[in-house]
Amino acid sequence: MSHRLYSAFKFAIPLLVLLLIWEFSIQFFQVNARVFPSIESVYKAGLEAVNDGSIFKHVAASLGRVAVGTLIAIAVSIPLGVAMGLNPIVSDFLSPLFRFFSVLAGIAWIPIATLWFGYGFGAITFVIFNAVFFVVTYNTLLGVASIPMPLRNAAASLGANGWTLLTQVILPGALPNIVTGIRTGLGFAWRGLIAAEMIATNVGLGYMLFLARDFYKTEVIVLGMIIIGLIWLAIDRLILAPVERATIERWGMVRRA
Amino acid sequence: MGSGYSMKNLTIQNVSKTYFDPYAGANVTAVHDISLKVNQGEFISIVGPSGCGKTTLLNMIAGFLPISGGSINIDDKPIKGPGADRGVVFQTFALFPWKTVGENVGFGPRMRGLPKKECDQIALEFLSLVGLEHVAQKYPNELSGGMQQRVGVVRALANNPDVLLMDEPFASVDAQTRMTLQEELTKIWQARRPTILFITHDVPESVFLADRVVVLSKGRVLEDMPIQLQRPRVWDQLIEDDTFKGLSAQVLSKVRSA
Amino acid sequence: MIFLKAWSFYLRLVAKFPIVQTILPFVPLVIAWALVTEYEVFPRAFLPGPMDVINAFGTLTYKGVLTQYLEDSVVRLAVGAAVGVAIGIPLGLLIGLSDRVREAVWPVLLFFQAIGDIAWLPILLVWFGFSLTTMTLIIVYTVLFPIVLNTSLGVRSVSTDLHRAALSLGASKLRVVWEVVLPGALPNIMTGLRNGLGYGWRALIATEIIVGTSGIGFMMFDARRAGSVVEILLGMVVLGTLWYVVDSWVLAPIERATGKRWGLVTQ
Repeated sequence: MSHRLYSAFKFAIPLLVLLLIWEFSIQFFQVNARVFPSIESVYKAGLEAVNDGSIFKHVAASLGRVAVGTLIAIAVSIPLGVAMGLNPIVSDFLSPLFRFFSVLAGIAWIPIATLWFGYGFGAITFVIFNAVFFVVTYNTLLGVASIPMPLRNAAASLGANGWTLLTQVILPGALPNIVTGIRTGLGFAWRGLIAAEMIATNVGLGYMLFLARDFYKTEVIVLGMIIIGLIWLAIDRLILAPVERATIERWGMVRRA
Repeated sequence: MGSGYSMKNLTIQNVSKTYFDPYAGANVTAVHDISLKVNQGEFISIVGPSGCGKTTLLNMIAGFLPISGGSINIDDKPIKGPGADRGVVFQTFALFPWKTVGENVGFGPRMRGLPKKECDQIALEFLSLVGLEHVAQKYPNELSGGMQQRVGVVRALANNPDVLLMDEPFASVDAQTRMTLQEELTKIWQARRPTILFITHDVPESVFLADRVVVLSKGRVLEDMPIQLQRPRVWDQLIEDDTFKGLSAQVLSKVRSA
Repeated sequence: MIFLKAWSFYLRLVAKFPIVQTILPFVPLVIAWALVTEYEVFPRAFLPGPMDVINAFGTLTYKGVLTQYLEDSVVRLAVGAAVGVAIGIPLGLLIGLSDRVREAVWPVLLFFQAIGDIAWLPILLVWFGFSLTTMTLIIVYTVLFPIVLNTSLGVRSVSTDLHRAALSLGASKLRVVWEVVLPGALPNIMTGLRNGLGYGWRALIATEIIVGTSGIGFMMFDARRAGSVVEILLGMVVLGTLWYVVDSWVLAPIERATGKRWGLVTQ
């Protein structure tokens, strides 16, 4: 077996054991379905959700909001962060501001977002944008500002200027911090999304969970939780990790705090 | 040094070490067959090219690695894992960064259960062997590399081990300091006569320090050469001494032929 | 030229009073905020001005409401964090020390971390209702992961030579954990604590917003329902300032101090 396959297999075993424990506990302790669902009922709920299309509706809504909010935020924050980071005076001055707002990232903006944008797509996307924007800008700023001057000077003395300097030296140099910022921001965004969907909308994974709670449909809740977990794992392993591998680890760079 | 009452000899008998290398996907034998007897109070150098098994041997004697075959005994008693009877000096110094120098040196005595005051006293006593009693309150990262390794040596000595194992201890230190440390080590050894096993890849160093030089190659003993040089040994004198140069050349040719 | 002189003055001022560096950037922001509200760029109902927020701060503090809410929030966080630490550090130690435990537990940990704290809210509500237990459990869950992960990382970062040095000086395996592993992992544990508190704080606010009956998060959500924006902004300002202060002036220095003292580098 190839190494990757083998380690994926090893990874899955504890989870499979967990599944066994789950099923066994339900049977052995005669757990009431209203307290915790059996694997079978979750599976059935899953099939049902697929058949009536509701699961696709919710997942699409959630992913859509995350994607839109994140992409817009990244598109704005990286250039902004670079611009601010290049000038040490500006970056020193603005750092506290961005650190402050990073703290508020995402969830704290839910009340005011619903006031400004009402319920639904706008408010939630705003929360996500927020969660990603401040964190990524701050990290980009840090990344750019901490590129050692000797490096920039060396590039300049080799004839790099303007656009070349930007793409060949600044961006790669700041990339570890940028990617860390994106990972953190995305984490905030995903959490903020679920929280926001619980109160501010009528479609999406958070909403699906919250609604099920009202009817004590624990199998739907557990189904939703598993899906949320799987989606985040997918984002982490299929998007974030490869990007990090291709940039940070390949170039053997260390993240600067 | 050592216990002083009974003779504590280290006997290594047909020791071998084999382990499974996951990357190679096969068994690797680091040590094929080594037998060695170290008498109380002797200073033995072990030299050899990279991969000859010298570090593996030291780790087995120290108890950090299990033995695949053969035996290692101290006075007919087989060793069982690491212990205070076999002190170790590391190439990386391995001083505890969050403890002061004095606390580092007093660590062994403290593990033996001695009261703090006594540990502090012992620490100062041993630090004065290397003239470092004035830095007892400092932290390791405030000292230079040479000073740190001196602390490392006396830390191991302060615990009165039966054998002192030194794993390329001066390799991380600059050349000048290295020579000073080598001279200091021989002085301490002459005064206290611990049993020392000194691993190195530096041939002149091995000849300078030892009573016997053991050359290893590919997991076996190639040569066990007594060193008949007068003590005390000083670099200024020996560096031009013909006997020293001859012995070094002999050892070097053995190592290179391996 | 004038700009350089002003800049030099600024640098000297900051050297004498470091706090200026933190506060000064907010001044133009507040001024801009005041101007935007003054000129009614957005309707007053949507964006009240700084003075309104300060007034609300005064009123609510006077009435004791703000202090009570603040206390509630902080206490919940403290309790949740304490439980999280009590579970997380030993667990992190275990995972860091034993490869077997690590292989068995790591995938499970990673999966549950992926589910995230908030997603547990609905089922916790089913089990414990709208109670303090629910909120505390969410915080414990949130705080747990950074602490476990960072602790285990710290444990594994203690070099083998340090382990071996202690063993060859006569320490038993248990003493090695106490004398070498724990102190060696301490900088990472501090990082985990700091991160954990940060996430815990956010989780607390989210929980208070969704199911709270008191606390800053609840204050913000309740105000939103009443359409009173001032309190929402007040809540955000208080939240941000409080965490910023605690993080920058208490947690970060501690983290730096442990890392520095050990001569190690912390991330």
